Amino acid sequence: MGQKVGIPQGLLFFDYYPLWKEFFSELGAEIVLSSKTNKDILDRGVSTCVDEACLPVKVFHGHVCDLKDRVDYLFIPKFISIYKKEFICPKFLGLPEMIKNSIKDLPPIIDIHIDLRKSKINIVNSIIKGGKYFTPSLIKISSAYNKAFKYYEKYIKLLNQGIIPMDAIKMYNSSITHKTKDNDNKPKIMILGHSYNLYDEHISMNVIKKINNKGINIITPEMIDENKARKYSSKLPKRMFWSFGSKIIGSAFAIMEEIKLDGIVYVSSFGCGIDSILLDIIERRSRKETIPFTLLTIDEHTGEAGVNTRIEAFIDMIKWRKKNEAHISTHG
Amino acid sequence: MQEFYLGVDVGSVSTNIVLMDKDNNIVSKKYLRTQGRPINILQKGLKEIKNEINNFEIKGVGTTGSGRHLANIILGADIVKNEITSHAVAAINYVPNVRTVLEIGGQDSKIIVLKDGIVTDFAMNTVCAAGTGSFLDRQASRLGIAIQDFGALALKAKNPVRIAGRCAVFAESDMIHKQQLGHNQEDIVRGLCQALVRNYLNNIGKGKDILAPIVFQGGVAANKGIKEAFVEALDTEIYVPKHHEVMGAIGAAILAKEEIKEKRTTSFKGIDIAENEYNVKGFECNDCSNMCEVIEIYSDGKVIARYSDKCGKWTNSLNSENQKLA
Repeated sequence: MGQKVGIPQGLLFFDYYPLWKEFFSELGAEIVLSSKTNKDILDRGVSTCVDEACLPVKVFHGHVCDLKDRVDYLFIPKFISIYKKEFICPKFLGLPEMIKNSIKDLPPIIDIHIDLRKSKINIVNSIIKGGKYFTPSLIKISSAYNKAFKYYEKYIKLLNQGIIPMDAIKMYNSSITHKTKDNDNKPKIMILGHSYNLYDEHISMNVIKKINNKGINIITPEMIDENKARKYSSKLPKRMFWSFGSKIIGSAFAIMEEIKLDGIVYVSSFGCGIDSILLDIIERRSRKETIPFTLLTIDEHTGEAGVNTRIEAFIDMIKWRKKNEAHISTHG
Repeated sequence: MQEFYLGVDVGSVSTNIVLMDKDNNIVSKKYLRTQGRPINILQKGLKEIKNEINNFEIKGVGTTGSGRHLANIILGADIVKNEITSHAVAAINYVPNVRTVLEIGGQDSKIIVLKDGIVTDFAMNTVCAAGTGSFLDRQASRLGIAIQDFGALALKAKNPVRIAGRCAVFAESDMIHKQQLGHNQEDIVRGLCQALVRNYLNNIGKGKDILAPIVFQGGVAANKGIKEAFVEALDTEIYVPKHHEVMGAIGAAILAKEEIKEKRTTSFKGIDIAENEYNVKGFECNDCSNMCEVIEIYSDGKVIARYSDKCGKWTNSLNSENQKLA
């Protein structure tokens, strides 16, 4: 059995898991995941993390606590930039340091730097650095990365077909390549937010399934092709230099222009600096297009009544509006 | 025998019950403090109605408010609706061309924007409770004023004091500071009303077109000081309906009436449930790391409902038990 590499199921997990998993597995490591977010992980995260951090960062701390005693290495890359001339959220820049400072008795952390801000060369060094933990052979590392990247591309392809990441993660290394077609007559709601808020069923109180189960088709930013999203976000008067920003704004604008959308739900964790700007830009645009918009703010609450009431009322309103539109069109 | 519809709104601060006839007239209304015991208060309200009115039949029941599911379990409702829809339906009933509903309740406040009798937009307060009824309640008790006298006192003020309204904690320290400076009580009270309205309009009303006719409802609408502060800030007339404090319950009753048109017979368990014995037990399920706090409701020693488990194991086990019994 190879050495155990622990991957916390938090933050960028839903963005890159297939790439990370296949890369380390190919090099002979055994991948160990933390449990899905639960009350215990949340409690441990809140008690170890500095108080000012946002909820997803606290949850990530909880995942590290959950993993640290059962693995040889923890994989916590230091994300600085994932695209030319763009930055990722500042909290990611210091994530490995934050973890090392807050949590005791950690196994060694593989904290390679991901920085594509100036050029793509850096990433090659980082990949080699990450691979060297398991093999000295550059050829092995390079072939492992290439194989992993193929899986990652397939994962992205699945997402772009409209499959939610929770399902796509189970499908990317199987033979299933497409999803069953949505019933087009159902109302369509776009659910916006950071991947680590949307797809974590505990933090988001399962908002995606809750909306889906009420007979609504859902669209999330991950389902929109990255280049298309970037094209739309570049229409903003000022360049969006946050990668999350160009993804969320770009995908929202693309969908608002290309299909008839019935509503937008924005899931934001309390105190998120990037969201405070994004959701205002999107809300203004949706108002112009007369698309209903609602914000769900999440924090450590465990009572689901607030979220449920808002979702229920929002969907009621959309169905009411739709019924009324149908009414007008038959008479006029 | 008279035929009525029952609307019940179980909120965080108050539990409201209305009895409505087929022409939407309110026959009886109850505004009771929930005091953290929704089941007992609900029973108390039903008992009062039963003693007041003789010889009637309930044709349909609607429940709303944050405790709507609990009320449904106890009563057997025909329709369970969220507060936004219920409040909108009730407002349309009194002012058919209403464009904006301002509603301030105990723990939440909302704005509902309507056009041609349908809801087109709404917003509720986010994680913070500043700008709600609890905030006023708290400050009133701080000042040693009964909440009923709050509004009248505010109207007497000549020089309202500016008080920070963004956060209930800031407002409190700001208010105490103003007291120490020697400001009049009525000026401080008026200042609090303005702070609440400012916070409401900046937070919940942000970016919304607040167009007339405006209906102001919810428990706080009884407060004339707040109403005046809204009139001042929005510079238009504001309509406070006669039954403003029970509008959610009225909406639920109207929705129940609509529902019964299709459903025909009600699921109501009968007015005598007011006499039943209910017990609530809770336990922490330790079967997985979620450690859900499961709630069980007993009626005469028998479990009638179980909920709050994420996986649905306990809820479902009860359903299958019931099916076996049936």
